[in-house]
Amino acid sequence: MEITASTQNDITVLALQGRLDGLASPQLEQRLDALVAAGTRKVVLDCAALNYVSSAGLRVFLGGAKKLKSAGGRAAFAALTPPVHEVFELSGFLEVLAVHPSAAAAAASLA
Amino acid sequence: MIPSLQLTFVEEIALLALDDASGKRLPMPTLGFSYALAGAALCDLSHLGRIDTDPAALTVLSTAPTGDPILDEVLKVLAADRTPEPVGSWLGILAQRSAWLEAAADDRLVERGILRREESKVLWVFGVRRYPTVDNHERIEVRTRLRALILGDDLPDPRDATLLSLLCACQLAAVIFRGPESNARADRLASLAKLDLVGREVSRAIDALGKALLGASPMRL
Repeated sequence: MEITASTQNDITVLALQGRLDGLASPQLEQRLDALVAAGTRKVVLDCAALNYVSSAGLRVFLGGAKKLKSAGGRAAFAALTPPVHEVFELSGFLEVLAVHPSAAAAAASLA
Repeated sequence: MIPSLQLTFVEEIALLALDDASGKRLPMPTLGFSYALAGAALCDLSHLGRIDTDPAALTVLSTAPTGDPILDEVLKVLAADRTPEPVGSWLGILAQRSAWLEAAADDRLVERGILRREESKVLWVFGVRRYPTVDNHERIEVRTRLRALILGDDLPDPRDATLLSLLCACQLAAVIFRGPESNARADRLASLAKLDLVGREVSRAIDALGKALLGASPMRL
């Protein structure tokens, strides 16, 4: 999985590409932990190029959103591809996480 | 006595399934408890990075020992078959070993100084084993935390989501968190229970076995 980071004002956008599975999820977890530790409080996870998420990946998404919220911040998820959307729906993530149709909409929700 | 650090999910389920006062298992479908223990072992291995799952299959990522003899035994079983199987299939296989999982978890809780073992005879013949609580700190702390999660609107951390999911799957949540406040939050509990894919598969596997079969399954009393 590739992670590309960009910053818009106080919002960090992490664009995820490829597969978020048990092998790749530690990489994202470390990235999110580092952002929270560095004081970032608004993060968009852009999933437009993410074509797979496993239970380990879901756990990192939930853990990351929880850590941000506990630190007074927020996470917003954007542009879920059909396979990722299906897993979000199955696992109830659509009900507890903020999911938006595009990275721009997700960023606007955090502004 | 081994140190009482973080309990595994197998230990948590075994502990929360005991009645504080009597030291006996709470009433629940036997089959559900077997599957919950099997699911708990898979959740432990998943959180430890040894396996990964998706709705289609369970994959072994690493056979490196976890240091926990119970989990390492389960990992060996999973690693022996490299054919990708759905989580539900593995639950069925591991549930057949649930008596061993239950006994091993109870023994561990005794070793940790959380429970003590009491053996007695009923009618001078039938052996009965109970596990009265020695240290109730862990059980109270977990129940309090999970109850707050159900009654509030906070996001769960992944461990709590997994534990709630397993407790719901074997219908223990309804016993542990009974009361008007929790009943009013049934939708919230159902939503939280879906957040762990393995826990969700435990529920699905139990459902797939059929309500008729569950109805005929003896209750633990």
